[in-house]
Amino acid sequence: MPEDQDILNSMVQELRRGTIILGVLSQLSEPQYGYSLVTILQERGINVEAGTLYPLLRRLEKQGLLNSEWDTNEARPRKYYIISQTGKDIYRQLYHEWKDMMTSLEGLINDKGD
Amino acid sequence: MTRGTKVMDLINRYIYAVTQKLPESQRADIEKELQGLVEDMLEDRGADRETASLEEVEQVLLELGPPVEMAARYRGRERYLIGPGLIDSYWSVLRIVLYSIAVALGIVYIVNFFISTEPTAEKLLEYLVSLLSVGIHGFAWVTVIFAFIEYRGARQVSNDPWKPSELPAIPEPATRIKPSEPVLGILFSVLFFVLFTFSINTFSINLIGVHRFAEHSIAIPVFEQAAFAKYLPLIWLLTAFSIFNEARKLITRKWTPQLAVMHVIFNIASVIVAVILFSDMTIWNPIFMDQLVQSGLVTTGDGSYETVKLIWDRSRDGLIYIIVVIALIDTVSVVMKRFRRKEGNTALTK
Repeated sequence: MPEDQDILNSMVQELRRGTIILGVLSQLSEPQYGYSLVTILQERGINVEAGTLYPLLRRLEKQGLLNSEWDTNEARPRKYYIISQTGKDIYRQLYHEWKDMMTSLEGLINDKGD
Repeated sequence: MTRGTKVMDLINRYIYAVTQKLPESQRADIEKELQGLVEDMLEDRGADRETASLEEVEQVLLELGPPVEMAARYRGRERYLIGPGLIDSYWSVLRIVLYSIAVALGIVYIVNFFISTEPTAEKLLEYLVSLLSVGIHGFAWVTVIFAFIEYRGARQVSNDPWKPSELPAIPEPATRIKPSEPVLGILFSVLFFVLFTFSINTFSINLIGVHRFAEHSIAIPVFEQAAFAKYLPLIWLLTAFSIFNEARKLITRKWTPQLAVMHVIFNIASVIVAVILFSDMTIWNPIFMDQLVQSGLVTTGDGSYETVKLIWDRSRDGLIYIIVVIALIDTVSVVMKRFRRKEGNTALTK
């Protein structure tokens, strides 16, 4: 049913929203520009659209998690992002939270089967 | 247009549509960023700005999504002039105000129809023109009032964390405001506003006065137009203040200390305006009695002449007292409502 599919899609989107941030922060110890990051994430199976990622990068920079710099040497100017010290701290903690969540959920879901 | 410029044009139009909906300070940066993004996405498809076909560009833009949504993602949180929490109240207040204006002006028009000698078409036109201009006024005022309430509300939210103990009590039946109350309040404010403004200015007739509907209809104004006109802004301010209060009553639907205080302030303001207005003797039509005699409604030396003269002289002072008394009764009844609520609370805690 298309309605069921819609419900599932919106739930998947909600689940994905937080994980994208983790994915982004994990890849930015090296400077990347927006589209290269889209490509990297997609290659690793994290499907993120450029239209979502670009505003997200901007928001993370505003929150102080990323630093950015325009590179005007190349054929077209590109904005490179790199993780800041604050970003690194938050990334580490966020990753722990994520793992705890996974463990707890796994426990819940697997216990039920027994 | 060559294919290359068509492609460029389409890209620029998309970027313009996005950045136009963003704050001025971020536009240039995001524009540069989006230009780069589109080019990267085209490159991914084995094309560039010069060689790309329109279809390829369209594909890229479709992937990026509608400009409105793109801009919304860049903005993050949404900002409102009148937010979702207030929009329903806004529409209902706006409807009430506009209906009231139509009704009030309709009354003026009907009276005008009988007593004015202007041709009917002209009167109808006058009615429509004033309907439009007063309607726009009403719309602007209601919008400004709600934008102000929204602005204050938005500021209050970001304050201290909320405490469950500070949750407002469920209103007692006595402190509840029936929707009809503010609706009538707005209706009368608008009626009052239209009555004073239009009976004195535009319509070149006086609604407030002595009328006699006969073959030769006559109108004797109670007020001296020029002298009264300078007080009109006071009445307009009072109307706006009143609509502001009634709108807030319609939103909260119960008496709060704030509302009661605002209500009392409004009553005091009304009394002050009334005192200012009626203590100025020049606002009264100085030849009212003479015009009355001329019209043949009364004759000098008659008993009825003396009676009318007495009423005319007394009522000018009396009006202030009547207004003060009405304001006083209203104030006391509002304060009583608050008092009853408090009593109810203490009864509960016992």
